[in-house]
Amino acid sequence: MFKPIRLLLLSLLLSIAAFSSDAKPTLTIYTYDAFAVSWGPGPKIKEAFEKEYNCQVKFVGMSSSIGALRKIQLEGKNTKADILLGLDTNIAQAANKTGLFASHEMNTSNLDLPVAYTDENFLPYDYSYVAFVYDTNKVKNPPLSFEALASMPEDFKIVIQDPRSSTPGLSLLLWVKEIYKEKAGEYWKRLAPHILTITKGWSESYGLFLKGEADMVLSYTTSPAYHIIDENRTNFKSVPFKEGHYGQIEVAAMLKSSKNKDLGKKFLRFLHSDTFANIIPTSNWAYPVVKTKQGLPEAFKTLTQPSKMILLDGKIVETNRKAIINEWLKALER
Amino acid sequence: MLNITNLTYQHQNAEDMYAYSMSVKPKEIVAILGQSGSGKSTLLDLIAGFLHAKKGSIKLDENEVIEESVENRPITILFQNHNLFEHLSVQKNILLGFSQTLKSSKSDIEKVRMILKEVGLERYEHTLASSLSGGQQQRVALARVLIRREPILLLDEPFTGLDAETRVEMLDLVKKITIENNLHTIMVTHEIQDCERIADRVYKVQNQKLVEQ
Amino acid sequence: MLKEVKRLKYSLLPGGFVSLFLLGFAFILFFILFFSQDDASVTELDARVFSLLKFTLYQAFLSTVLSLLVGISLAWSLAHQSTFKGRSLLVALFSSSLVLPTLIVVFGIIAVLGRNGWMNQLSIYLFDHSFGSYLYGLGGILVAHVYLNASFASRSLLHVFESIPKEKYKLAKSLNFTTIERFIYVEWPALRTTLLSIASTIFLLCFTSFAIVLVLGGSPAYNTLEVAIYEAVKLDFDISMALKLALIQLGVTSLLVLFSSNFRTNIGNIKTTALVIPWSEPKHIKRLQIMIIGLFALFFMLPLIAIVFDGIGADFSRIVTEPLFIKSFFTSISLATISSILTVFFAIVLSDAKRNFTLRYRLSDNRFSKLLNMIVAFSGNLYLAIPSLIMGLGFFLMSQKYEAPLVVWSTVALLTANVLMSLPFALAVLAPAMQKTAQRYDKLVFSLNLSTVQRWIYCEYPYLKSSLGYVFALSFCFSLGDLGIIALFGSDDFLTLPWYLYQLMGSYRTSDAAGVALILLAITLSVFILLPRLFRSTVAKHH
Repeated sequence: MFKPIRLLLLSLLLSIAAFSSDAKPTLTIYTYDAFAVSWGPGPKIKEAFEKEYNCQVKFVGMSSSIGALRKIQLEGKNTKADILLGLDTNIAQAANKTGLFASHEMNTSNLDLPVAYTDENFLPYDYSYVAFVYDTNKVKNPPLSFEALASMPEDFKIVIQDPRSSTPGLSLLLWVKEIYKEKAGEYWKRLAPHILTITKGWSESYGLFLKGEADMVLSYTTSPAYHIIDENRTNFKSVPFKEGHYGQIEVAAMLKSSKNKDLGKKFLRFLHSDTFANIIPTSNWAYPVVKTKQGLPEAFKTLTQPSKMILLDGKIVETNRKAIINEWLKALER
Repeated sequence: MLNITNLTYQHQNAEDMYAYSMSVKPKEIVAILGQSGSGKSTLLDLIAGFLHAKKGSIKLDENEVIEESVENRPITILFQNHNLFEHLSVQKNILLGFSQTLKSSKSDIEKVRMILKEVGLERYEHTLASSLSGGQQQRVALARVLIRREPILLLDEPFTGLDAETRVEMLDLVKKITIENNLHTIMVTHEIQDCERIADRVYKVQNQKLVEQ
Repeated sequence: MLKEVKRLKYSLLPGGFVSLFLLGFAFILFFILFFSQDDASVTELDARVFSLLKFTLYQAFLSTVLSLLVGISLAWSLAHQSTFKGRSLLVALFSSSLVLPTLIVVFGIIAVLGRNGWMNQLSIYLFDHSFGSYLYGLGGILVAHVYLNASFASRSLLHVFESIPKEKYKLAKSLNFTTIERFIYVEWPALRTTLLSIASTIFLLCFTSFAIVLVLGGSPAYNTLEVAIYEAVKLDFDISMALKLALIQLGVTSLLVLFSSNFRTNIGNIKTTALVIPWSEPKHIKRLQIMIIGLFALFFMLPLIAIVFDGIGADFSRIVTEPLFIKSFFTSISLATISSILTVFFAIVLSDAKRNFTLRYRLSDNRFSKLLNMIVAFSGNLYLAIPSLIMGLGFFLMSQKYEAPLVVWSTVALLTANVLMSLPFALAVLAPAMQKTAQRYDKLVFSLNLSTVQRWIYCEYPYLKSSLGYVFALSFCFSLGDLGIIALFGSDDFLTLPWYLYQLMGSYRTSDAAGVALILLAITLSVFILLPRLFRSTVAKHH
């Protein structure tokens, strides 16, 4: 009578043992969807890193960059994430405040960045400039400044992201704030009629733009590179704004609660390797922070090259973030 | 002997208080005559236990019955309609009259067959109640009365809507059953002919009280 | 009194327990929400909260008015055009709007009315005029709300029209009434009483609308309280703000529910007998009615057709082998099954308890009966007062306090929300049906002293069978298509079909989304149409 039970227990124990004696450790990386998706940088990075360090890499994609941070906060100490990748310098300080992230103990002084950035926990891995992207076939005279944008005809629509969930969304907010200072709220009131919709993440808005629902989308100076290189289409361009462009330096950090700290550290170091830097331009469509021998693809030369990067200090951003967002919310009220 | 003493009742929003007193001997059919709304059905409801009397007593052979709930009173009642479960067979309808189990034993089914013979409906054992005529349905209800063997039979104008011939048949059947089984039968009706045909005594509802005719 | 209760205990106790359980749950929820606040910033952003409330009320009000206007005209037209081919199919289709996943509806509406949708493309082609993008913002919210609520309202109102005694029409005709006079004197009085109840139901639904506002709202200017709560939790991780909003929402909805519970009536009618109204319409009126029916039918079906159209071309072999799809599919189906079973059970038990208080031969004379009836009814209709996101917030807070794998909390949260969400509708269908059965057979059953089991098998079930099937299908579809609590708990480890669809919709490529949308629509419609057929009962004919 007990035999079958004993057999069952034994097989159960064996299978548990089999599971736990998985030779390779798994590194779990939370990021935004466009990074993790099958046609994004994720798979290539996964392949390269897994080969070099004999492990498993699991990318978990959320619908927005800040959403990934919130998810980690939601999961608390039980989070499975080892690494959070995809925030930018604007929101990194808010992430630091949660106390969930570990210091990377790496030297970042020799990175190829337009604006120097140092943070104890967050490590830069690529950068770009925020800009509006449009289709030259559909829009013949794009606005060349914020003022021109606000003065466009009523039916000229843009789609942007929510600064509370999306890093480019937040960048736009800070960009406008930096240029208009106290008059930022008033500017947003003037811009409001042109906003078709505000999406939670970048993918959603870019998808809407490509479907033809809007004339311009808030994206990056480097987005057109995708269309040129992968699709052989040169009709997508970003608009160079007279006032200059806000930059986005993307960062990654390791969780204090991670059970794979060793592997995590290796991954962070990997972010500054040549291998990584060669993958980024044609999969994440951004500038790597390390100069490689290979250099950038030809197509990158046709992109808008802002003369300087507007970037507010992360700590200043964090102090004022809530106020700036509230001002924005208020301005959008009807 | 069924003795009903000072059964008192007041409708919720009405002012009048009913007080019923009457008696029924075994093998006796007592008719309650009156206009619609005069309180005849209320009396039956009180005896059956659907309504609760304020005070009074219902004694069957010195056993006080008024404290019992509907389910435990020694009565079988025939209504004007909805006497049978229309979607069930005749056999099932009768089985439900006396068996509390889900599966019916062979002896139970035999009992039902015998009763159906008594009322002349053996052929309809498995017919759906809804397929029967009005008269046949009441016959099945009466079959159920027989099988339950409860000493009190209450009839609430059960033969309205039947044609004259069937009506007479039914009344005679009631008389037969009452006598053969020592029942105390109370019949509520508004037809004087019913009373003339089978009632041993007749009460009328006057001023919320029963008056013997 | 106590004896009566003892006698009816099998009928009262299960329902009583369930009722207490539900009320207890609501109390705990409120308790947790109220006491999780740190009173720190009480007056922070009160202006914003006020404007949120204003907008939520405003769009709910507009949606209700528009839905009713459209619903009445549609019901009126259908009532007077009772003999055209396909009418019963059309009416059945309209009633299915109740179960359509809101996300699907939004998806379809965007495909048809969006800036790049069929309508606009057609108008550009024909008239070289683009309607622009009116769909995002208040316009889109109203369109989606009218789509869902006008169809369901027209269904209930049609029933009212068909219940008007034919004699009234004959009388009006003999007095030579015009169409308008006929409406004012014959039809409107009948509509008026149901109208208030339908209006309050629609208002509540629009007030707590989530998925529609989330997708079509477009900007924080068009946020309702529900969406603001979601954003506060998911985006800002500002729990205290979410709590403030939740408590305000709870306060308003509770008031609304209490206020409207007086006249909320049966909204679960399925079958109508196509009673021909004895009045042949004058030609121009007939044309008007046909046009109304035609336009609305088009408006209703195009988004669904768009979903089929867009979805047909999807790569199904890839979609269904995608691990996330498989996960979401099994999660959705099992949750839907379990929650529908629970819903049906709760609804039966609550209806059973409830009818004790309104039946003559049971407890209706008791002075507590009215109150108890209301309490049981309220416990079944809790969901109308506690929208899913607030429930989600409560569960989330509980999950923070009591350690357990997130999957467990997510499952519990979703099951609870799904059951509570379907319960009001289930009750609206089952309670009247069970009341009717009891009214018919109580005396007989009591006098024969049938056991509870016998009663249920022989007396209740045959008559309830088809209603049960309908309620099961309804709950199943509600659960399957819901995008509410899952928005808070959704992740790669725990996801449902609508959540998966929402993720796909927000991503770069939408052909997969179209495929999943089609799958979801197909499952919903087939369950809603086929399942009740399995339960069709021949008994219901005997009235």
